[in-house]
Parts: sequence; C-alpha cells; structure tokens
Amino acid sequence: MEDIVKGIGLLLEFQNILLILSGVLIGVLVGALPGLSSPMAIALLIPFTISLDPVAAIAMMAALYCAGTFGGSITAILINAPGAPPAVATALDGYPMAKNGEPGRALGLAAVSSVFGGIFSLIIFIFAAPLLAKLALEFGPAEYFGLAVFALSMLASMSGKSSLRNLISGLVGVLIGTIGIHLTTGVERFTFDIPDLEEGIHFVPVLIGLFAVSELFKQSEKLNAVVERIQAKALRLPSLIELKKLKYTILRSSGIGTFIGILPAEGSTVAAIIGYNEARRWSKDKDKFGKGSPEGIVGPEAANNAAAGGAMVPTLALGIPGSGSTALILAALIMHGFRPGPYLISETPEFVYAIFGAMLIANLGFLFIGLVGAKFFSLVAFIPKKLLWPAVFIFSMIGSYSFASSMFDVWVMLAAGLVGYFMDRHGFSAAPLVMGLILGKLVEESFSQSMIIHDNNFFALLESPVVLLFFVLTFLSLSSPFWTRYFSKK
Amino acid sequence: MKNKENASNSLGALLNKSDTIIAIILTLIIAFLWFETTKFEKVPDLFSNNIPPEMFPQILLIIILGMVLIIPFEHIFLKKSGKNIDSSRKNPVEISTIGTMIILTAIIASSQILGAALTIIAVSISLPLYWGERRLKVLISYVVGFPLFVIVLFNVILGVHFEPGLLDLIKN
Repeated sequence: MEDIVKGIGLLLEFQNILLILSGVLIGVLVGALPGLSSPMAIALLIPFTISLDPVAAIAMMAALYCAGTFGGSITAILINAPGAPPAVATALDGYPMAKNGEPGRALGLAAVSSVFGGIFSLIIFIFAAPLLAKLALEFGPAEYFGLAVFALSMLASMSGKSSLRNLISGLVGVLIGTIGIHLTTGVERFTFDIPDLEEGIHFVPVLIGLFAVSELFKQSEKLNAVVERIQAKALRLPSLIELKKLKYTILRSSGIGTFIGILPAEGSTVAAIIGYNEARRWSKDKDKFGKGSPEGIVGPEAANNAAAGGAMVPTLALGIPGSGSTALILAALIMHGFRPGPYLISETPEFVYAIFGAMLIANLGFLFIGLVGAKFFSLVAFIPKKLLWPAVFIFSMIGSYSFASSMFDVWVMLAAGLVGYFMDRHGFSAAPLVMGLILGKLVEESFSQSMIIHDNNFFALLESPVVLLFFVLTFLSLSSPFWTRYFSKK
Repeated sequence: MKNKENASNSLGALLNKSDTIIAIILTLIIAFLWFETTKFEKVPDLFSNNIPPEMFPQILLIIILGMVLIIPFEHIFLKKSGKNIDSSRKNPVEISTIGTMIILTAIIASSQILGAALTIIAVSISLPLYWGERRLKVLISYVVGFPLFVIVLFNVILGVHFEPGLLDLIKN
C-alpha cells in the first residue's frame, strides 16, 4: 500500500501530470490520423524523453499508448479508415452506426467501453504483475532463455499475413542485436570496420525507420485517396439502460483482451478481432452485426484497450514485451537505465505503480478529451497528407539525429525505412523485428550463461521443469497452425 | 519432352516466383554473413567460456536459413487458409514512391553540407511540391511556418544541436 501511495505521489507533480495529458492528447491525435500509429509516436518520442525524469518519460509514453488505441476508433467510426490496426474491428459496426446518423452514439460507446476495458486490465495488472515478478525472481538464466524462446515463438501468431515471415523477422531482429562488440569476449561482430557499428545499432533510429519512414513510403502511394466523412458534433455517452444491456459483452471482452495482452507478443489487434467475434457469437441479435450493432462496437473496443493494459504485465514483470508498443516502452526503460523484469518490481515498486497511475489517468483523460474534442478529432483526419508526412519525416530525422548527435543514425533510420517498406510489401511485419531486436540481448546472454552453467550440454537445460514447460509451450505455439486446422476440420 | 514440360509446370506451381527471388537474395545474404562470422577474431576457449563469439550468430543464421528455404512454397499453405501473399505486391512500386525515396536519400546525403535548418526547409518544399501540392498560399505558409516551429521547439527550447552547415559559410 505504501508503494502505491509513493507511486501516486511521484505522479502528482505538475510537470508529470502535464506530460501525461500531453501523451493522451498526442495519442488520440496520432490514433485519429490514418497512417500514424502509437508505436510510431512512441518511437519518435523516445529520443526527446531521454533528458526527462524516467517516471515522467515512461508515464507519458504509457499514456500515449493507452490513448492511441482509442484514437484509432475515431476515424474507424467516422471515415471507415481505422487510424490504428486495433480499430479495424470497430469499423465493422462503428461506421454503419455513424452512417445511420448516430456518429456521437458510436463514439460514446467506443469511449466508455475502452475506458472500462482499460481500467479492468489495470486492476488485473496491479495484482498480476507483482505475482508474476515474484515467480520470475526464482528464474535462472536457463529459465529466462526458455521464456525468451517462447516469446520469440509467439511472434509467429502476431498479426500479419504469415507466421513464418513473422518468425524470420523476429530472428533477423535478434541477429541485428548481435552487431557490435561482443560483451563477453570484446570481439567485434558484423562491424565491417565501421566505427559507428562498434557500439551496435541503436534501437531508436531502427524503430523510427521501421514505423515512421516506411509508413511514409506506403502513404506516398495513396496521396490522393478520397474518403467520405461523417461529421460528429459531439460524443454522446450511452445511457445506463444501454450500458446494462451491454455489460456482459464489455466484461467478456475486457477479460479476453487482458488475457491476450498478457501473452507475450499478442497485441491489441488480435484481442479486438477475438473480442468482436465473441461479441457476435454470444449476441442475441447476430443479424444486426455489420449494420451498426452496439455490441459490435463495445466488443472490440473493450478488448483492444484491455489488451493495452494486459501487455504491460509481461513487459514490466518479465522484461518480455506484450506488443509492438510495449516493446518500444521496454526500449525506453532500458535507455533510462532500468532493467525491466522482476527486479524492477521488487526494487522499485513505486515506479511500476506510477506507470499504473499514468495509465489510469490516461484512460479517464481520453474519455474527457473524447467528450470535448470529438468534433476536432474528426477534422484532424483531414489534414492533407502532402503536408503531414513531410512533417513526420522531419520529426523522424531530428529524433534519430538527436539521440546521439550522429548522422550515421539518420542513415540507419532511412535504411530501416526502406527495408521496412519492402518487408511489408512481401509480407514481413516490422513489429516482430523490433521485438527480436529488443529481446536479442536477453536471448544471447541467457543462452550463454545457461550453456556455461550446464557445461555446454544443451539437453541439461531440460532438467529444469520450467524450461521444459516453456519449450513445450514453444512447440505448441509453433505447431498451432497445424493443430488448429486439424481441430477446425473435425 | 512433354514430361519435362509437365515437370517444369508443376515446379512452377509449387514455387512462388517473387518468394523464390526473395529466398535466393536472403540465402546469399546469409551466406555472406556466415562467411563474416568465420572472420571474427579467435578467442581462447578459457576466455570465451567455450562459447565463441561466432556461435550464437551462426545458430541464428542456420535457423533463419531453414525458414527461408520454405518461403518459396509457403504460398501453398497460405492459400489453404485463405491468405494471398501476393495481394500487397501485385502492383509494381509506384513511381511516386521511388521518387520519394530518391528525394529523401538525396536530402539526407546533402544534409551535412546544407545544415539542419536548410535540410528541414528542403524537406518542407520538395516533398509537398513533388506530391503535387500547388496551392501557393498553403505552400508558402507551410514552408515558412513549419521549419520555424521545428527550429524554435527543438533548437531553442529543447536544446537539440543543429549543424549550421551552409548558413555558417554564408554568415562568415
């Protein structure tokens, strides 16, 4: 309890509250702008938050993450163009409801269910994270290696066209992590006699390139796309009677979202799709789905926001990111000198509770912003792309450069952008690469340490039941496309 | 002759052309990187705890290679689950995208000469113009207003060091 009070105390400084609210505002804005996303905004923000107090920096990013998930639903509902992938399922019923003349009601349902989903997952977070961390304190290098391998295998089921390509992207990320001087031996690896590579490739320019610059190239293909817009005058909160009717859908989706968020590598998009499908499966009015069903809005919205909170559990308790955005928050934590994992919770619990508080404020903040600014945010989506994307590129350049005052990083950003564009064209997702890059050090360190402990006998690792469990889970995760097809045929 | 043709046809159906090219490129990169790992400095076993620096990258390269070799055939499995891997690449890369890539590469290449402020102005002018923005009032206010905002925010308020570049030469 004392830690919770301390954590809230850390947040209650004027500067921190201001930064959290700025994070919410930026989150809703980038969520509402098609093409911009919260991972991209977090990637752009990281270099500028280095000089901030760690609590303020991480709280701002966590707030942006929560709000960005909701922001995506604004454009999904008003212009049928999800501002962020997790809002794809919201568009299925949100847009028809808006077209039927009830855009304010659709936005209100999305906002309230998002807030509920978000707060639900935070309550689970506050109990689950310390428990998970306590368990993880017993982990040795072998167990961590097993966990990291399991997390990498979960990349296969991340959203994207192909599990195989997700896995390749993830492993390429781990491989990029090996560039630079090997910590144990001091040997240079893949540096090609370039001094800038001796310290390895920094996360920041790669993240900015993959998320922002590659998206700029994609957007340059559809600069003149015309979208039909529905004007929302204000957000209309649902009545108590309506909420009563929807309570089971919201609760179910919040549970689903939190659970999926906790699974390593599973993000809000998967949660939203499952939340939508389950809302439809349990609904008494299945025929209304696709035509503006309220359940079709609250189902995915509660799930995707709950997943955002859920994804913070493995990120903070184990140091294993739960989604693309949390992978970036993890990178930011590392840059601020923290070692994400069980020690973060056992040694600095007040810091973790401060992040929890920031996410709570963010959840309430975007409801308020939605209430007063729905009209404004519905207009934001119409900022001309021809002016918006040059601005994104300028922020990307400054962000990459300012991190280490190095032009080399700007080139890395551009190269990552080009590679990211062609990866996407050929079905390789960027998010697994980022997660691989961030997990890379953990995988190699834990692998090396376990091999040393077990006298280079790989099979000796399996003597630990926890490692065995993770390897079984890895096998199940990798073989899931086969057995799910087998069971669905039956 | 007919048998040979049939065999090549069935092989053609098995392999996806674009994915085969990707697999070949990735295999060549993997081969090159493997060759690089053999050039890593040798460290005595005692010093490296029997885990030489090339061991981990080599394990990764082998696993990636194993997966890469499946890529040309993957379209068959994806089709069964209703996914079309070619949908995002059926059209060639747009000229506007290639042009954007060239412009941005050129701007970054010249940024050390131009300096930060002129680079920001160059991006603000060139991209909207290239993408077809012709409203003069909008363009002028953007080219003046946005770089000014960026310079004040990052250079003056946040203290990010901006290389003066050409502006320094002009000043002197």
